Formats: sequence, C-alpha cells, structure tokens
Amino acid sequence: MIKLQDIRDTARDMLTKGEVRAVIGWQAGSRGMEAEPVTITDAAQAGNLVWDPTCYHNLSLYLVNDKKAQAHAKQKPVLPIAIIAKGCDARSTVVLLQENYFKRDEIYIIGVSCEGSGVVDKKKLATALNGVQPTAAAFDGDDYVVTLPDGSEKRLPAREVMANRCLECREPFPKEHNIVLGENKTGRGYAEPFAELAAAEAKSGADRWDYWERQFDRCIRCFACRSVCPMCFCDECVVDSIELKVAPATTAEEKATRTRWIERSNTRADNFVYHMTRAMHLAGRCIDCGECERVCPVNIPLRLLNNKLERESREAFGYEPGASIGAPSLVASFLDEDPGSWIR
Amino acid sequence: MEKLIDKKRLSDWIAALADWEVFAPALEDGVWAWKPAGEDVRLEHSNVKQPPKGFAFPQREIYFSFEQIKGEAPKLTPKVPETKKRAVFGVRPCDGRAVPRMDALFDSEGFHDDYYWARRDKIAYVGLACNQPVNATCFCKSVGGSPVSTDGMDVLLTDLGDHYFAKALTKAGEALLSVAPGEKPSAGDQKKLKDTHAKAEAAPQRAVNDAAGAPAALKANFDSPLWETLAQGCIGCGICTFLCPTCHCFDINDEVTGTAPMKGNRVRTWDNCQFPDFTMHTSGHNPRESLGSRLRQRVCHKFQYFHENFGMLQCTGCGRCVSECPVGIDIANVVNKVTEHVA
Repeated sequence: MIKLQDIRDTARDMLTKGEVRAVIGWQAGSRGMEAEPVTITDAAQAGNLVWDPTCYHNLSLYLVNDKKAQAHAKQKPVLPIAIIAKGCDARSTVVLLQENYFKRDEIYIIGVSCEGSGVVDKKKLATALNGVQPTAAAFDGDDYVVTLPDGSEKRLPAREVMANRCLECREPFPKEHNIVLGENKTGRGYAEPFAELAAAEAKSGADRWDYWERQFDRCIRCFACRSVCPMCFCDECVVDSIELKVAPATTAEEKATRTRWIERSNTRADNFVYHMTRAMHLAGRCIDCGECERVCPVNIPLRLLNNKLERESREAFGYEPGASIGAPSLVASFLDEDPGSWIR
Repeated sequence: MEKLIDKKRLSDWIAALADWEVFAPALEDGVWAWKPAGEDVRLEHSNVKQPPKGFAFPQREIYFSFEQIKGEAPKLTPKVPETKKRAVFGVRPCDGRAVPRMDALFDSEGFHDDYYWARRDKIAYVGLACNQPVNATCFCKSVGGSPVSTDGMDVLLTDLGDHYFAKALTKAGEALLSVAPGEKPSAGDQKKLKDTHAKAEAAPQRAVNDAAGAPAALKANFDSPLWETLAQGCIGCGICTFLCPTCHCFDINDEVTGTAPMKGNRVRTWDNCQFPDFTMHTSGHNPRESLGSRLRQRVCHKFQYFHENFGMLQCTGCGRCVSECPVGIDIANVVNKVTEHVA
C-alpha cells in the first residue's frame, strides 16, 4: 500500500532540489470528500498532496494544458514537469508521448500503483450509503474507509463501490515511470475488460438503437467529456468554429457558409454527430481512464462508445493503446497482415 | 388558501389538474429529471440535476423559420411557442428564487422577451420546502435565501410526515390548490409547520461568508492573481453554467435545413461563458482567453454585475455548480477567497 508521506516526500525533494518546475497531483477539496487536481510549484505545498479513493482525475490532462500554456507564452522551460500518475494516467501519458505531444525528458512520471483498490464511483457510493454524503475517504488494503458527517467511519469493500473502469482495469500498475510507489500488482481480476460492452452488445440492434437515441436526447452538450479528456487536445474542436479569421474583406457569404459540422442545438442528430466524431477520434488512443463517463452530469455511458473502438482496434489490428512509447500510433501505421486488401 | 394534503392523494390532485400539463421529478438513468407526472409521483428527490429554468427558457428555441424562393421575397414564419398551462411540482426553494431573477432579466431595459414570456406566463411552480439541506453543497441561507423560501413559487408544500402542508401564494396557486383533495389545516398542523420551518432554517449549511459585501469586494479584486490560481484545475467545460438555475446567456444561429430552396430556422440556444468561442471576436482576438478570466466572469456575474443591474445577487445557493464540477471548483470557496483577499 502506498504511504501518502512517500508521495509528499518525493514531491518535496524534487522541488527542493530543483529537478522539476512543478508537480501535478491532488489536494483535499473545499467541498467535502473529493480531492481535486493541483499543480504545486513550491516545496512547502507538498504537504497538501493527498492520495485517496477520490483521486479519480486523469492528471495527464494537465500535462497537455501545461504544454498549451507554454506554447502560448512562447516559452521553452528548462526543467521537466512532474505528474503523479495512476496506471491509466500513465497509459494516456504514453499515448501523448507516442503522438509527440511532448518529449519524454519534458516530463517526470511519479507512478502510483492502484494495486487492488482503484478509485471510487460517487454514484455507487451514494447508493451504498443511502444518499449520506461522506466527508472523507481513505484506502485500507482492498477496502475503502469513509468518514460520515457524524464523524463515524464505515468500511466498504472497494470492489462494491469501485468505478466500473477500475473493475475492468487493463493495467493498474503505471509501467512507464521515472519512479514508482506501491506494489506491482498486475490485473485486478474483478471483471474482464470490456465486460460492460459485451453486456450492452448482447441486446438486439433495435434495442440498442432505441437506447442510444434516448441517451443522445439527454445530452446537454456541456462538453465536459471533451474537456476532461487528455486526448481531446485539438486547438479547435469540431464543435467550436473559432478559427475563421474575419478581415474587412471577408464577405457575409463566407461568414455564413463557414463549415459548421455540428450545430449548437442539442438535438438528437447533432448530439449523435458530436459523440460519434469524438469516439472515432479516440479510436486506438483511448486507454479507458473513464473520465468522460465520470464527469457526465446526465450519466450517459460514454465508455461504451470508446470501449467499442478500443476493442475493435485490438481485435482487428492487435493494437493496444498506451502500451509502448516506441510503438507507432494506430492510424499512422499498417502491417502487411492488417485486414482489408486495399492497403496492399 | 391552505390545505393539508394526504401524501397518498398527491396523484389524485395531479389527476384533477386536467387542463394542466404536470411535471415532477423522476429518476432516469440514476439522475433526477423533470418528467411528465405519471401516477406514482412521490416528491422524494434531493434536487433535480437540471434546474427548472428550461420550462420557460429551453436550451433550444426556434425564433422563426426562413425560406428563400427564387424571385420572391424571403418568407419568414415566426414561431412564438404555444404551450398548455404547465404545473411544475417539487421545485426546491433555491430554484424558486431563480424565477424572479430570470423574470427580471427577460423583462428589462424596456424589452419584453416574447419567447420567454409566452412560456413563463403559463407556468405555475409548486415548491417543496427543504426540511433539511438536500445536498452537502447547499448554501442558500448565506445568499439571502431560505430552505423554506416562497420566492417564485405559486404553491409551497411542506412535508409533515404523512401529509403535505400546502399554501397557495398566487392566483395561479389558488387555482391549483382549489382542486386538491384535503382539509383546512388545524391549529396543531400550523404549529407543526412552524416547528418544521424553524428546524429547517436552523440546519447548518456551508456559506458564502459575506454575501452583502461581495459586490464591492469583487469589484475591488478584479485584477487579483487569485482568479488564475483558483481556476488552475478548471477544464473549461460547461457544467456549472448549464446546470445553473439563473445562467441565461444565449447564442443565436441560423440552422440551414435545405439549400434548394434555401431554408432553415433561426434558433436561440444556451451559450456558455466557459467555452472558448463565447467571447471570440471576429478578428480572432479573444479577450477572455484564460480560464481564470472565465471563472471571474461567472462569479462576478452572479455576485457583482447582476447585483449592480437588478439589485439582487444572482446566485441562489443551490450548490449544483459545486457538487457537479468535475474538478472541485467551488463557487462559495472562490467568493470567500477572493473577497477575503487583502491585496
């Protein structure tokens, strides 16, 4: 089991010795149980770092945001930035490295192994506690211990309230790391990867169509799924047309006919195009951190869409996203034995 | 008018509202949503994930349709909505307090928004008092509200165990309540109501520490470096804004549905100050490029600008933006940190 003090000491040492310019981790939130992402630049802040079952955020998003900020400021920092990375965070970092979003020596990975514990699913926890909202949550072996508002503690087996993404975790150990804390426990054995997807696919085509129509009707297009995704790093997303520069000579016709792939309206058709576009753009890149599904305010099961394409890329091309920095990306490579004769 | 209504007869009341469309909270995919009221309405919700603002101000509204036929003048067909009378059951007091705020906005500076009012004039809100805070992120009391507030409501229900104590507050509320089954509350019921409300108002909540001082303090801290610090984890999604009972910014677009002949709709959709294109100028310059400047905009709109324009804080303390933020940005904490900051 990881000792929180080890995480804090590691961060403090690195900042004190000037080995990194910042450490991306988690700190206690102001609103109750949940931790929140934080980027610390001062060794004195290392004592604020936390590690608990609410550290669900995939922090590689902040590596992307940091890179964007550096590019915007036209800066090229000398020191790397450190990230505290769970197994899934490390895999998405590897995808970003594969895609040359940043270079390996620009980042420093402090791996934290999830071992048997994973992270909590807030909705499952609310159900398990009959709506009582805990004030804190902690790991204890394969259990979570939550503190209730009256100060009492309640122990729950982690697997009962764990996020589905963690039940189906591909690899809880952050293989790619500079240093790593926690045990190398590969595989959790609670549920097969793609178990939820298989269950969803067992329904008839007509039922699935009805199901997704209803799900897309419910989408409010808050774009939290896109915003939280480390792979959704495009400067201009297909849903925002912000890049049309209007000069005095730009005609009304040009403004009116600029390409708008997806309307602002959250109609079923436009929502469908948005989610399908996002799913396709994540094929062979999504490593199932499940953040899109966690943040959806209306509980649309977005992992199913991304899992579908992840499994397709495994089955059709033997491709495993986030496995190796040296591996080419799925859509930028081919093998002679790839299915489909058109490639030859 | 006051009535004591047996909880078991709530569905009889709803059935008696034959000329109304009735909506109530129902669980859908694990989320409380506003649904047409069926036979089994129980009002056991915490709070509905989306506030009821969409009844008067839907996320998508068609202003008019257009059609260009060659050689003819463009044909415009207005689409001012025609709805039945609607009764929305189970509105929490924080969301009730959003109603006068939205009403003020859509009837201001000499402009009466026909689309908003065509819907709004036909809506009656049947509130449900919060006997205890429904969420750990509630902070209505510190922004001038109350868990038993009647603001914006046509009827307020209070849960007294087996019965609801119902009080009509407007003419529409009287009309609704007149067909409800139930009897005149006794002196004992009145006492029970008073005690329940007193207990509700005494329940501890999180707080914005100095809401009265917030408009001036925020104005003084416009250039504070804290905005960027507090927005450090922000991912720039639109949850806080779209789930807010009083956020009302909108965008207008022409959606083309056919090109021969050219036809389509001019639509109003909710817009969102957290999105990158919200303030994008035609030149390509974006005055609110950073996440800190967007957080500041939203917080100052709630606690300063709206107050300057309408004399009331826009935030009603429902806590949705706090509980639903994917990364823990907490408006009460932000207001406290910024207003207590000494430069």
